[in-house]
Amino acid sequence: MASADTTQESIDSLQARVKGLERELSELKSDLAAANARPSPSLETPTHPDSTDGLTPDGWTWPLAADEYKRYGRQMILPQIGLEGQLKLKSSSVLIVGAGGLGCPAAAYLAGAGVGKLGLVDGDTVEVSNLHRQILHGTHKVDMRKVDSAIQSLKGLNPTIQYVAHREHLTPLTSLDIFAQYDVILDCTDHPTSRYLISDTAVLLGKPLVSASALKTEGQLMVLNDPPLPRGDPSGGPCYRCVFPRPPPAESLVSCGEGGILGPVVGTMGVLQALETIKLITRRAASSSASGSPEKPTPSLLLFSAYGSPPFRSIRLRSRRANCLACSALSPESGCITKESLSSGSLDYVQFCGVTKPVNILAADERVTATEYNNARKTGNTGKEQGVLIDVREKVLYDICHIDNSINIPYSTIVAESRRMPSPSPSPSTPTSSSVEAQNTQNTQNLQEAGNDATWFPNVPSNAPIHVICRLGNDSQLAVRRFQEMGLAQGGNRYIGDIKGGLKAWKDEVDKSWPEV
Amino acid sequence: MSSRPPPGHFTLLYFASATAFSKKASEHFESPLPLTKLFELLESKYPGIKENVLHSCAVTINLDYVDLDLDQGADAEPVMIKEGDEVAIIPPVSSG
Repeated sequence: MASADTTQESIDSLQARVKGLERELSELKSDLAAANARPSPSLETPTHPDSTDGLTPDGWTWPLAADEYKRYGRQMILPQIGLEGQLKLKSSSVLIVGAGGLGCPAAAYLAGAGVGKLGLVDGDTVEVSNLHRQILHGTHKVDMRKVDSAIQSLKGLNPTIQYVAHREHLTPLTSLDIFAQYDVILDCTDHPTSRYLISDTAVLLGKPLVSASALKTEGQLMVLNDPPLPRGDPSGGPCYRCVFPRPPPAESLVSCGEGGILGPVVGTMGVLQALETIKLITRRAASSSASGSPEKPTPSLLLFSAYGSPPFRSIRLRSRRANCLACSALSPESGCITKESLSSGSLDYVQFCGVTKPVNILAADERVTATEYNNARKTGNTGKEQGVLIDVREKVLYDICHIDNSINIPYSTIVAESRRMPSPSPSPSTPTSSSVEAQNTQNTQNLQEAGNDATWFPNVPSNAPIHVICRLGNDSQLAVRRFQEMGLAQGGNRYIGDIKGGLKAWKDEVDKSWPEV
Repeated sequence: MSSRPPPGHFTLLYFASATAFSKKASEHFESPLPLTKLFELLESKYPGIKENVLHSCAVTINLDYVDLDLDQGADAEPVMIKEGDEVAIIPPVSSG
């Protein structure tokens, strides 16, 4: 045993050293690339068209440096960009909030296109589960700060522009100060609280906002507050609150970790954000437009459904909402959002969007730990009868891995079936003062009637104890209650309970080899 | 996904979390239907969808955003969903 431990320790320590050296090497390489790319010794100073950077002794007088003509030539020969557009990009500053699935591709294309200054905000570190979609990070960067990892990759891509790392989560106390340093904001975050905070801050500071999101196989894209006219000016572009004035209920929220995300779907949305940002920065004033027609932005919401037909739909949005809390002419007395209310922290975005508390609705005798359940299983003592273990995760998760002999009934199916079940109505045979027990009896009958052709519930003895398990131990509790409400407890003759902490606890306590999904 | 609706019907498209209730990307309903009745119709078919999805979603008719708060005001002309219309339920997606 001792020697096995020692071997494991030395493997771990070697792996850590390799990782550290790989990181150092990668940093050195990007520093070297930066040093090669610029005669100036400073890495943080952007080159200005009017500075002497790029000036060769023989008197370089062109507005861009020689290597910039080479680097950006392929986009500069497009009439939509041209020299004018490239100079606009070079003098622009862009802030990307979130260095994840959206922020990585957005940052890569904006760095490649040659924006002058690129800021990144993120407080997270890289995890292995990020890598299938967060393309600036790599296996050797796991545990590194996302912002540092991203900037390291970006420097390799284009070492000639300025990068600013904001290694923090955006908060109402910091958002105004950070946003003030940039011309355009990209919302690449993953939660309603940050979406409203970013939109409100952008409106207060008069910055256009390019917002995108993605989950599972779908994405959304909007260019908001464009043009970024002062609040109350109806010609200004709508903000996030104008389109979605009410946040979705916190209980209904699904993260990429829970709902899943296909890499190219979120990548597509991030690339489109970079495109819209380039269009916005290089947009010509109405008078100087080549076609003579004004390039007035029309607000739209682009929907991407990877498996839909057609996969793209563009929704025409309305202008600013007359009673919008952020961008309308509402007075502070009517509750509109101000710089003061934002930076003082008096606006509670978490409360506005709601919070989900861990579910804790079952009594102690309705719950067993993973260890207890495993011991009972081994001794065959899960109850008087052979019990049944019901796994209430979605089928796709169950199919990836599940405990032997467990049966899959997704929680969503249980909810749908319990809603389909007619609520017990007073009938001549049932006293109107029906007790809960009578109700349960009625429901049991309903279930048993439905049970003949109900394929969703396993055909097990009606007194077989039911144990319910899910991913983290929240849905399992709700499922236990639903089963009881359906009358499955047989008026208390049958045990129904859950496994505390779900499959995460199962992995921690019982089966270390359980694959983490 | 969205076939043309039969005569006397309109098409309803479901996006993002709305499909968790409908279990499908689109379906047809009888037209005409006042927009104000749409949510009740969906709640009766998919109990719980109103609170969890419709309360916070955007709604469009033929790719135009319709503002339910304004369009359904007391003095507003009631918006009717007509035969052949394409209506969409678009909940906000927040992840990224």
